[in-house]
Amino acid sequence: MANRTDPAAKSIRGTNPQNLVEKILRSKIYQNTYWKEQCFGLTAETLVDKAMELDHLGGTHGGNRKPTPFMCLVMKMLQIQPEKEIVIEFIKNDDYKYVRILGAFYLRLTGTDVDVYRYLEPLYNDYRKLRQKLPEGKFSLTHVDEVIDELLTKDYSCDIALPRIKKRWTLETLGSLEPRRSVLEDDFEEEEEKEENDQLDGLEEEAHEKDYYRGRSPARERDRDRRRDRDRYRERDYDRDYDRDYDRERGRGRDRDRDRERDRDRDRDRDRDRDRDRYRLRDEKDYGRDRERDREWEGRERERRDRDRGRRRSHSRSRSRSKDRKDREGGEHRKRHARSSTSPRRRDGAEENGTREEPKKKKERKEKKEDGTDHPDPEIAEANRLRASLGLKPLK
Amino acid sequence: MIEVVLNDRLGKKVRVKCNEDDTIGDLKKLVAAQTGTRAEKIRIQKWYNIYKNHITLKDYEIHDGMGLELYYD
Repeated sequence: MANRTDPAAKSIRGTNPQNLVEKILRSKIYQNTYWKEQCFGLTAETLVDKAMELDHLGGTHGGNRKPTPFMCLVMKMLQIQPEKEIVIEFIKNDDYKYVRILGAFYLRLTGTDVDVYRYLEPLYNDYRKLRQKLPEGKFSLTHVDEVIDELLTKDYSCDIALPRIKKRWTLETLGSLEPRRSVLEDDFEEEEEKEENDQLDGLEEEAHEKDYYRGRSPARERDRDRRRDRDRYRERDYDRDYDRDYDRERGRGRDRDRDRERDRDRDRDRDRDRDRDRYRLRDEKDYGRDRERDREWEGRERERRDRDRGRRRSHSRSRSRSKDRKDREGGEHRKRHARSSTSPRRRDGAEENGTREEPKKKKERKEKKEDGTDHPDPEIAEANRLRASLGLKPLK
Repeated sequence: MIEVVLNDRLGKKVRVKCNEDDTIGDLKKLVAAQTGTRAEKIRIQKWYNIYKNHITLKDYEIHDGMGLELYYD
């Protein structure tokens, strides 16, 4: 039978490897034409050829949730279970980025925790663009390192629930892994030596709060260097995930300020603080990327990056506030030329205006909180709390 | 504010409070919060009409107390 797992295959996490993909998605893949035509009788070698032909990644899309060829190949790999060396070859190969992502995805599903971190982290340095198919059917732009970040931090990607792996700091305390060394670290060692103590503490406190909030290790007892490395790593993850989940709550009104600040950043001197430096380097790369992106892709990714930069700026908000007001006009002017479309804001504009008007109308409505979580009826208050956490407006 | 009942005929019956101008996507998020499935995996139907994510409940004429079918993708 074409859909049976190779009998010589080991069980992954206690079960048939194909069961890593849940039942409904599995049936969808088996019924898919690509699976039936192309994936019949594939071996590890012929699989490579098919993988080289991939041109996008994604989960399911459309009304009847059709799986992408990427999904079918992942399924095929789970079925034939190639050896670890082959998978690592997939990851190490530099020419075909989709083969790399395929290998990385498979390793994330089937590899041990240490292997996952060891082989996927070098891929953070790969900045190539990828095409991702969204559930609505459209394509969006993403990058290799973004995908790897998702694989390492989130527990759901491409419509597959990723198996749980231990957090990095657990493995570090166990001694199985070295503390993370970023490739950019050497560049920043000089910057770190120039830093003031209070600057560092101020930043770290915020970073700690957020680390703490995200349930990662309490970092206070660790020595400063290790803390710094980890915080940098965490902040990066934190920024991405935090932005996606919480940007609605934080209020989109700040986006405009952030955009202006972003343009201003390039002139800021490097000594100021390490985060800004790190992100400024990234900004310069992003800016080059952004130009292409503006032309080709929808604004959604761009807006997310704007928000990313914006959120990072928030760390230094206290210091930069006075400058912020001064540079607002200049920055805005520059911003209008740098960024063309504002269409993504359309979606946010309504919500943004809503939350801004609400504070004004607060006294008229006699509501103490915007999102109605203090409603007298406890059930409704509970419902409103849930809605606020999901980013929805309160019940009427 | 209306209350909608979603039933998957396999044991999950959930009542969700929502606004009329919420979209189906929002409703799916609320249902996901209550049932524990992922919002992307939920499909809301009425007979053979699959409800689309970007349309509001008001436009689908979903009223208070109405029952919808809950399926999974």
